Amino acid sequence: MLIMRHELLLIAITVILLIVEIFLPNTQKHKIILPAILLMAAVTVIGFFPGTPGVLFGGMFQSTQLTMMFKNILNIGVLIVFIQSVDWLKQDQNKEKISEFFLLMLATLIGMNYMISSGDFLMFYIGLELATIPVAALAAFERLKEKSAEAGVKLIFSSALSSGILLYGLSMIYGTTGTMYFADVAPLITGVPLQVLAFIFFFAGMAFKISLVPFHLWTADVYEGAPVNVTSYLSVISKGAAVFIFTIILYTVFSKIAVMWSDLIYVVTILTITVGNLFALRQQNLKRFLAFSSIAQAGFILLGVIGQSQLGMTTVIYFVLVYIFSNLGAFGVVGIISNRTGKENINDYDGLYRTNPNLSLVMMLALFSLAGIPPLAGFFGKFFLFTAAAKQGYYILVLIALINTIISLYYYLLVIKAMLLNNSDHPIAKIRSDNYTRLGLLICVAGMVIIGFTSSIYEMVFNLSFGLY
Amino acid sequence: MSAESLILFFIVGAFLVGFAIVFSIFVAPTSTNPQKAEPYECGIPTEGLTWLQFNVGYYLFAIIFLIFDVEAVFIFPWAVVMKEMGMIAFVEIVIFFFVLGLGLLYAWKKGALKWE
Repeated sequence: MLIMRHELLLIAITVILLIVEIFLPNTQKHKIILPAILLMAAVTVIGFFPGTPGVLFGGMFQSTQLTMMFKNILNIGVLIVFIQSVDWLKQDQNKEKISEFFLLMLATLIGMNYMISSGDFLMFYIGLELATIPVAALAAFERLKEKSAEAGVKLIFSSALSSGILLYGLSMIYGTTGTMYFADVAPLITGVPLQVLAFIFFFAGMAFKISLVPFHLWTADVYEGAPVNVTSYLSVISKGAAVFIFTIILYTVFSKIAVMWSDLIYVVTILTITVGNLFALRQQNLKRFLAFSSIAQAGFILLGVIGQSQLGMTTVIYFVLVYIFSNLGAFGVVGIISNRTGKENINDYDGLYRTNPNLSLVMMLALFSLAGIPPLAGFFGKFFLFTAAAKQGYYILVLIALINTIISLYYYLLVIKAMLLNNSDHPIAKIRSDNYTRLGLLICVAGMVIIGFTSSIYEMVFNLSFGLY
Repeated sequence: MSAESLILFFIVGAFLVGFAIVFSIFVAPTSTNPQKAEPYECGIPTEGLTWLQFNVGYYLFAIIFLIFDVEAVFIFPWAVVMKEMGMIAFVEIVIFFFVLGLGLLYAWKKGALKWE
């Protein structure tokens, strides 16, 4: 099979959808929804056929079993986002730009795929930009709403800043080693001061994208202002892809100075988890709440990154997989309620269980999974992360993370309490969700439950991560 | 590792930039007159507030121009290796033009080329 199969397929369906969009009259734009979802589903299924690993363009593009599997995970996530967005896209304000939503999403996905398979810093950077810039357009999708436009502007500014920092770091790497290929750079990283500085710049640039704590300030505003479906995409898929390539680069390129970056990540992990959790405690808007909870989750992911090991790589991928289903489930419920009623505050969810039992059950499962309650997949994700960190001897770090898990349990339960226990005179009226929304939420719930019970997925990831570093 | 060299790097960097700015203030000959203070916009002084909203059409034209400008940059290296690579290079550039053409068609369909 083709080495660049995932990317070529995605480009192909993007071009097909663009042609369809050009020849569809303005009143018929909604007809693109079903073909777009079906094409994406087809690409997702085709992605699972076994492919051949290989290297293209003299090492700029490298495809391994691991990257192929991660691309499949991203495909599934984007498919769920597509399905969940249908209800929002059918609103009057979006009727004329339905196809643009799909095109921009696919463009970012292509960018992420190239970023993940990059074997060269230039390729990595191009992929990163392709994955970032269309998202800013998506964040400003409801451009007549002030908050949405603000979110787009904030995203483009913060990503421009972070890209600048990242590029500065990359230029220093080039300056000290004379090459941009990961494989050639790795043996030349000796820990001279300029390389350490380069690494810090690189780290800062990536920390912006993953929204780790000293660089998280854009997150809450952008997540609140952007449309819910774009927010869910930002918080799960962009973040997942960035974490993945970040881990790979740390493990392969910077493995020689692992002692230094372990210390850095140690501090950043503690800060990220704690600050994310403490800010999440006080949020009333559910989108902001989920934004801070996603910052905290990014901190948990770093637990697996620290202390370079096969187990670490495995747990990171596994956690991202679990996190995609859990967070998309939570955002799916917030999205449908926000679309139908415009209500986004936790107080508005009082008594939701009486009127919308199914939605509140999905929300409850998703939040339990995010918090890490045993039968659901989120528990195993966190458990493995803690194991990976503990195996490397970071006991104090694990202890702090555990304390933070308990704090996070409190605020996740606040939402559940509002839905199940609180009474309200004006609860949200019964929402009749369409089949797309139901399907999207069903996939999320199925993912959360099934991944929790099947250990073979974890073992598969573990085997694929072997020999990476 | 030696952190001193990093600190030195920052100090020297800050010093060099600061020195260049301060030095030019002292050394450069300065002369001020009313004509010099006028904004240069085709020689005519501006009327009223200049903080106006620009027609978004300017940006659309600029962006479309930019896309095709950058495209030209990609064609030059292609033209250099075209003879050696033969048919493959030709097919590749056709695909490239096809995708770009689609982009232009899209902009056209959306009315970006219409000046209002």
